[in-house]
Amino acid sequence: MPNIPYESGSVSPGSDADSTGAPDVTDERVAAPDGGRQRERSADPAAGGSTADEGGEVSGGDVPGDAADGSVVLRAEGLEKTYGSWLPFRRTVEVLDGADIEIRAGEVVGIVGANGSGKSTLMKALVGALDPDAGTVEASGRVGWCPQEELLYDRLTVRETFRLFGEGYGLSGSEVEDARDRLADRLDFEEFLDYRVDQLSGGNRQKVNLSVALMHDPDVLLLDEPYTGFDWDTYLAFWDLTEELRERGTAVAIISHLINEQERFDRIFELADGTLTDVTDEGSNQADDAGVR
Amino acid sequence: MSDARGRSTTVGARARRLEVGLSSAIHEFVREPVNLALLVALPPAIVVSYGSMMSAFPELPYMSSSPEQLGAVAGTLFVAAFLPGVIGLFQVISARRADERLSLTGFPRATLFCSRLLAVAVASLLTAGVSLAVLTTRTDVAALPAAFGTLVLVGVLYGLVGMLVGAVLPRELEGSLVLIFVADVDEALASGIVQTDGAFAKLFPLHYPHELFQAAVGGSGVATGDALAAGAYVLVLGVVALAVYTTLTGEGGVR
Repeated sequence: MPNIPYESGSVSPGSDADSTGAPDVTDERVAAPDGGRQRERSADPAAGGSTADEGGEVSGGDVPGDAADGSVVLRAEGLEKTYGSWLPFRRTVEVLDGADIEIRAGEVVGIVGANGSGKSTLMKALVGALDPDAGTVEASGRVGWCPQEELLYDRLTVRETFRLFGEGYGLSGSEVEDARDRLADRLDFEEFLDYRVDQLSGGNRQKVNLSVALMHDPDVLLLDEPYTGFDWDTYLAFWDLTEELRERGTAVAIISHLINEQERFDRIFELADGTLTDVTDEGSNQADDAGVR
Repeated sequence: MSDARGRSTTVGARARRLEVGLSSAIHEFVREPVNLALLVALPPAIVVSYGSMMSAFPELPYMSSSPEQLGAVAGTLFVAAFLPGVIGLFQVISARRADERLSLTGFPRATLFCSRLLAVAVASLLTAGVSLAVLTTRTDVAALPAAFGTLVLVGVLYGLVGMLVGAVLPRELEGSLVLIFVADVDEALASGIVQTDGAFAKLFPLHYPHELFQAAVGGSGVATGDALAAGAYVLVLGVVALAVYTTLTGEGGVR
């Protein structure tokens, strides 16, 4: 599989990253802003624009200063992905075909598309959970990912889940406890901290799923159908939290098959035929067709 | 020492991560009561049934002991290998996608592998103890500590085989079938019940452990060469399994 270039540091338009050369999908390398030092892409969204090895060693680093100035914190260019198989009776499906997106600090971006349009594939490519066939993804700062399907350990309690993922993020014990208590209070699952994940309702599992993405205070938050199963109060609490994150400079991208309350989003993209189109200002049939309400 | 995110990379921090990973793996396992029930119930059933089945066999010239004893020893080794093997397989497969997410947060895959292997080792202790206890009701065991150590080694060995199979073939049914087939053939070749080409049989994981176990049961003294070969086998398999696991369950593994 191809290695994808991964660039550390800010990727603001006009920054050194641009002046030293735009991401090149042909040779799959980019010149980094630190004098040409090149890195392979990390599969570590927690490290943001960093590279983690097996021992958890991370080079590069966070760019917290970028969070408040509206600079680009996540950029994907020319993403392509086709699912195929050498096995018989399997179909080849072209999912992404040159998808581009830039997400800036402090904005809330919606990505909408029909069922099977490749939204989750796009999200996985953005967080490094999936190797695209071509294209580049660059991120700065810490990245949080809330997958559509709760990828949690069924027989661990919620408390143990926080502890385990907190170790992954490199948080101290007290930081884990702070994050756990803050998010449990905010999303109202305090009483379930000692419940096993497989004993939670679907909505509460989704709260934990979301909280795991939030517990390390990411600079970029990528959410795949985040409010599936939420009751109305939790839905409103989710948006309060999102608004708070936006004010703190966190970039939030929400993928959904249907986007309600368009006014909550700064920009909305439609994923169709493998590419992303900005439909924020369409206010028209195109937006309606894309599932924006 | 700390990394770019201020995350500690000291030995203490790594040890804590391993401890949290191990604790999680053990909790995941023991909170499924069926798992524990199988660990306790299967060894007696298999050791007794292997011994009983073999008792009907005639004693052939190349056999080192009576067919019944050979059967009981073979059953003990099989169950001590197979159960940890299945546990290793499911440790890798059942939480594969959650493991991917955990890795993406920065939890090192090598640490995850080691924590899973340690959990398998803990299960191996239990399996070895139960199966050896059952064996002692069927036949005399001359050197219990050596026999127990060999069975634990067998459990770790097949735990690695299971993790390897799980990484290469991440499907529960197919992976289990492969594991049953490998363990069964391996034990049959190693047991001496059937006469085989010696060089070919030595390639299988249970060959040297079987020699060690047979010596521990019969009291003939453990051969250093067999012990070194068995240890080397575990080390090589461990390195291969780690490399395959970190490669195949790494970046791009989530689908």
